[in-house]
Amino acid sequence: MVTVKLFGLFRLDTGLKEITADVSDVKALYPILLKEAKRHNPKTKVKAADIDGCIVLVNGKQMTKRAKLQDGDEVMLMSPVCGG
Amino acid sequence: MSTRYGGYMGKVMVLDLSKKKVAEYPWTDRDRELYIGGKMMGAKILSDLFSGKETPLSEENIIVISTGPLTGTGAPSSSRFNMSTLSPQTGFLTSTNCGGTFGYYLKKAGMDALIIRGKCDKRTWIEIKNGKFIFHDADDLWGTKVTPCQEMLQEKLGPKAKFGCICIGPAGENLVKYSSVISGERAAGRTGVGAVFGWKNVKAITASGNKKVTVAEPEKCKKALKKWFKYLRNHPLTGNQLPRMGTAGLVSSMQMRGMLATRNYAKGQYEYFDDVNGETLAEEYNIVNKGCLTCPIQCARTVRVNGQAVKGPELETLDLLGGGIENHDMQKILDWNNELDELGMDTISAANTISWAMEANEKGLWDNGLAFGKTDNLSQIWDDIAHRRGIGDELAEGSKRLSEKYGGKEFAIHAKGLELAAYEPRRAVGQGLGYAVANRGGCHLNAGYMVIVEGLGLFTDPQTPKAKADFTMLFQDLMEMISATGQCLFTSYAFFPGFLITRPNGLITRAVNAAIPHIGWALRFMNKFPETLAIHLPVFPQSKFFKLATGMPMTFGHYVRCGERGYTLDRYVSSRFGVSEKDDALPKRLTAELQDPNDPTTRVPLAKMKRVYYKARGWNRKGLPTRRTLRKLKIIEDK
Repeated sequence: MVTVKLFGLFRLDTGLKEITADVSDVKALYPILLKEAKRHNPKTKVKAADIDGCIVLVNGKQMTKRAKLQDGDEVMLMSPVCGG
Repeated sequence: MSTRYGGYMGKVMVLDLSKKKVAEYPWTDRDRELYIGGKMMGAKILSDLFSGKETPLSEENIIVISTGPLTGTGAPSSSRFNMSTLSPQTGFLTSTNCGGTFGYYLKKAGMDALIIRGKCDKRTWIEIKNGKFIFHDADDLWGTKVTPCQEMLQEKLGPKAKFGCICIGPAGENLVKYSSVISGERAAGRTGVGAVFGWKNVKAITASGNKKVTVAEPEKCKKALKKWFKYLRNHPLTGNQLPRMGTAGLVSSMQMRGMLATRNYAKGQYEYFDDVNGETLAEEYNIVNKGCLTCPIQCARTVRVNGQAVKGPELETLDLLGGGIENHDMQKILDWNNELDELGMDTISAANTISWAMEANEKGLWDNGLAFGKTDNLSQIWDDIAHRRGIGDELAEGSKRLSEKYGGKEFAIHAKGLELAAYEPRRAVGQGLGYAVANRGGCHLNAGYMVIVEGLGLFTDPQTPKAKADFTMLFQDLMEMISATGQCLFTSYAFFPGFLITRPNGLITRAVNAAIPHIGWALRFMNKFPETLAIHLPVFPQSKFFKLATGMPMTFGHYVRCGERGYTLDRYVSSRFGVSEKDDALPKRLTAELQDPNDPTTRVPLAKMKRVYYKARGWNRKGLPTRRTLRKLKIIEDK
């Protein structure tokens, strides 16, 4: 089981802060997240491409969506932001 | 002196406070072509008036309040004004920029800029109406915080009076080195300009009038504006992220990049960042978004403090009063942000001075009762600083002067005496270079804002020094010119095509990120010969609109060159006050201590980048512009 924490506009759009999932790599999380997002906020316009555009950190280190996951890992997904 | 160019009112006025006299300052169309407006105009005027013997808090110091030619034209986010003077915090030429409405009303009062000389013999507020100046006694305003002060001015001028206003709080009156000038809810926050007003006995200035700003090509401007507003509203940054999260949206991103200044910059990540980030602010505290005149972005937050709706914090305040001092109570940050604004103090320098003092106490250098995570007494401390009571009197001097007295220079996080913004530069070394060489000191914007390609937008290698000096110069010059025209820098964030931001994992974005460290040579060529780019870029409508509004010839390349002139002029003026390579420095914590002991790249390799930067700018090894560079930029001209 991995813990997934969400940040950025993705979080504001869906209202989802955190979920847990039983997956073996980051990519496998995406359909679960999309389903959860729609369940949590049926009006959300979040698309698969938005999740695909997220920055991924696994246990604090930046990874790609191909990264393998182990039980107990913490995944952070953040929709990209900039400017300040 | 009238002008043939659109956007300008054609008048620059000089107000002598000592003699209570007003005169027109000679400012020609040639000056407008070379120095545009805003901070560049301020620098040129002060270059002509300063000998190098002046000191910040003296009768000889001068304040130039200037607008840009786009102020009041309806251009996006163009209500800004600038104040240039000698900074009490750095001792060098500074400029501080502010939104709100004052710039717009100064132009309605009939002038592009106001030069303030001398000192009032008693506490004064000044009313400017259609070019006329009226001096009023300010005894009843003195000591007030900025909201009551502005409310009292509204009462004095009449409940229906429409005007722009700038004022100082108790911090400026008591010459706190990092006191700010407030306009409405907006702050000209940095480098201590509030103290210069306080020293001159000026509590407030109001401006009003019925003059109109006209542009050179009204129909073409109208059409261009429609397109530009649409572009900004559709861009993922200016149309989505900034309106919805403000700058606070960066906290989480910086945490993930290890560049969230934590515990006086000892660390780049804060364990409790999710309690004090933009998401939590938006979800639980934000009431409504706000913005300046003609701004489609509306980046400001409104939050509730003591039952009142007040301005919410920016990224800098959220982090530096959050992780910076190990506080994860969001409501306290909202309260302190409001208290600091009301007292008229820069939140960045106030927060960094406190975090330095906390570490100095921890290390046994100064027994001051402050400690990381101990936040119950901070409201009292802010008030003590603003009124220079107890240890507040010492804290009012800022971290540089305190570290010179008590020791701890290596962790006094400033450049040229100005405390750094919230971006921890050991994880964005280009930003580190910018902080060090920036003319106004440790300012993230005058630094060039390299973090936007080092992890907060694009994702080029943040640890490599390659191409960083060249990028820094280009960004600094672009921002210099945007400021000079009277626009907000946030309009430039739409410079990066949207897909590069929203698709960071895409093939093109990854290729761009990989290529950036290897295109230093191309940037160097462009920085050296910007006029070769005699075009307008679709992603940068600023240059074309400037041409339509003013009627001045302008291309993207010429726009960059103008910015370069302004940036170098700032350095040239400050060189008279002793600025040199030795001042382009960062504390040892950032250049010698590794953020990650296992990663030797996690420090700022400053010396190496500085050499490349000076060369690119045409400055000598002492960090000063050569005669040849000054001639090339027409800053000095052969008679």
